[in-house]
Amino acid sequence: MRRAAPHALLPSPGRKGASLNMEQFFQQLTNGLAVGGIYALIALGYTMVYGVLKLINFAHADLFTLGAYLGLTLLLAMALTDHLGPLWGTMVLALMVMGLIALVGALLDRVAYRPLRESPRLSAVVSALGASIFLQNTVMLIYGARFQVYPQNILPKAAIDLFGLSIPVVRLLVLAASLIMMAALYLFIQKTRIGTAIRAAAIDQGAAKLMGIDVNRVILMVFLVGPALGGLAGLMVGLYYGQINFTMGWVYGLKAFTAAILGGIGNIPGAMVGGLLLGVIEALGAAYLSIAWKDAIAFCVLILILIVRPTGLLGERVAEKV
Amino acid sequence: MKKLLFVALAMSFFMGQAYAADTVKIGLMGPMTGSWASEGQEMKQVLDLLAEELNAKGGIAGKKVEVISEDDGGDPRTASLAAQRLATQGVVAVIGTYGSAVTEATQNIYNEAKIIQIANGSTAIRLSEKNLPYFFRTCPRDDEQAKVGVQAIQKLGVKKLAVLHDNSTYAKGLADEAKALLQGKVDIVFFEALTPKEQDYTAILTKMKAAQPDFVFFTGYYGEGGLLLKQKKEMNWNVPFMGGDATNNPDLVKIAGKDAAAGFYFLSAPLPKDLPFEQAKAFLAAFAKKYGNPPSSIYAVLAGDGFRGVATAIEQTKATDTARIADYLHKELKDFPGLTGKITFNEKGDRVGEVYKVYQVNPQGEFILQP
Repeated sequence: MRRAAPHALLPSPGRKGASLNMEQFFQQLTNGLAVGGIYALIALGYTMVYGVLKLINFAHADLFTLGAYLGLTLLLAMALTDHLGPLWGTMVLALMVMGLIALVGALLDRVAYRPLRESPRLSAVVSALGASIFLQNTVMLIYGARFQVYPQNILPKAAIDLFGLSIPVVRLLVLAASLIMMAALYLFIQKTRIGTAIRAAAIDQGAAKLMGIDVNRVILMVFLVGPALGGLAGLMVGLYYGQINFTMGWVYGLKAFTAAILGGIGNIPGAMVGGLLLGVIEALGAAYLSIAWKDAIAFCVLILILIVRPTGLLGERVAEKV
Repeated sequence: MKKLLFVALAMSFFMGQAYAADTVKIGLMGPMTGSWASEGQEMKQVLDLLAEELNAKGGIAGKKVEVISEDDGGDPRTASLAAQRLATQGVVAVIGTYGSAVTEATQNIYNEAKIIQIANGSTAIRLSEKNLPYFFRTCPRDDEQAKVGVQAIQKLGVKKLAVLHDNSTYAKGLADEAKALLQGKVDIVFFEALTPKEQDYTAILTKMKAAQPDFVFFTGYYGEGGLLLKQKKEMNWNVPFMGGDATNNPDLVKIAGKDAAAGFYFLSAPLPKDLPFEQAKAFLAAFAKKYGNPPSSIYAVLAGDGFRGVATAIEQTKATDTARIADYLHKELKDFPGLTGKITFNEKGDRVGEVYKVYQVNPQGEFILQP
């Protein structure tokens, strides 16, 4: 059974095979970039905390989950999109979720990490694992174990034709939103005084203190910004995929952590590159090799990159002995 | 004085024994948490109601029934711990569970403890091919399901078929079975597995679309099924989908949205609302009265049938010896009037005679039985 050509831009039949392959390649590229953007947003939270504290914040994935659930609650409770229209409603919602998750992040630091600042690093890691279990079960107890579903009619359903590809608008919005957030973060870190202080504390906390930087304020800032981005990623997953579950943080957290290592953990542009790259590798691996082996392919690439560049793609500093 | 104390202790020991023997303990192992939590929670509601009704009529052979439920989390590792906990609590039989891989992890634990297990949703073929004398199930098997699925696929005139599973015991088994039956009759242009619990299946759908199938058979579960339908719709791809019985859950429509779910076919034992039997109607009414809504999942009702079957076996044999009860279920229980039709078990512990049906989701998101 032959199907009609999906759109008018398809070239002459003679080159149909080749162009279909190219079309599939670009389609998979956009698939990968959309997921990769979300990985990157979450990876930023891991990498910022690691850069300053040398701590892997395992609870970050659960802040992401919490963002998705808080977004759903606020969306239903306040009916923002009814009052302000889809665009502004979603923006206000995003700001509220980011603000709330930032507060939770700061609270997490105050309760779970700050008391252990002078203890061996392992204690803080154990505390992070505990915080993760606590947050996950809290979400389950409050919202229940079933799938929760976002309302379907918020984001536009249309698809646009771009260079002969039909791409859902939502996917472009997800990608655009993550790129804008990453650019904003980059400017914040590079151009502002507090950003400079964060970079200084990441290089050498002791020296930063001697230069008059309030390191505790820097850490607080990191725990506000990182979780805010993670919470935003949670909201985006909820809006885009529609289905959320209290265990969803596990898969995304693992992938985002991988992305952070891929780009060089502690390095902010590295997390962005790593996230997008991981998404694309997964999509292309699924397209050209086997779908069932997609994760295996992604992790093989990770191992290869780490063999060649042990500090990750953009990581510069030699890994410290722990 | 010391002697008196001893006597008192001994007395309380015997009384304790006597008290314990006064109840018949039946275990329930189901996914109360995790992705399939809605299934497990409804299984518990069904068993609680049935036990309540039974106790109101005087229990089994003069003893009260006690349902002890454990959570398997829909996960084989959690399930094996749950099975070990149940095995130490003196249960005669265990009802459950839903997922085949989860059941498989617990089969040997129950068999070694000589506890009867009656699975309610585990349809993978190999579960009953292991010659385990204490294993039964009230749901049909996947070879039966694949047969009905293949008939439907041929009736719809499919030429190029895509098959997608999720590598779980159940989904892969059903996909392989369907593939074997269709070999040479229908062109299978795509046969692959997805990773459950991910949320982005656009890469898979894009690849599948490139193979240009005119029909897709997805053998995985409802969570992923709903997302596939939703993302397929967003891609503007109008290929019809059919699912196995694990996509039979109203949450599928909730996740996909009504417009994306409309037209979706799935295979299932008859849904609770379509059960024609008198005892089923009475039970559904009692359930709706107690919990406010009728049961939505057939597997919960099948768990109820497992419970009623084992209760009857204990009542009839008056035995506490599980070997005798298992023997009764294998050989003497014939055409027992279950909620989901007549129940007879064969020597493998499989239920005989029940047939799968084909359902389709209508634009209102309701499940409609296909003739």
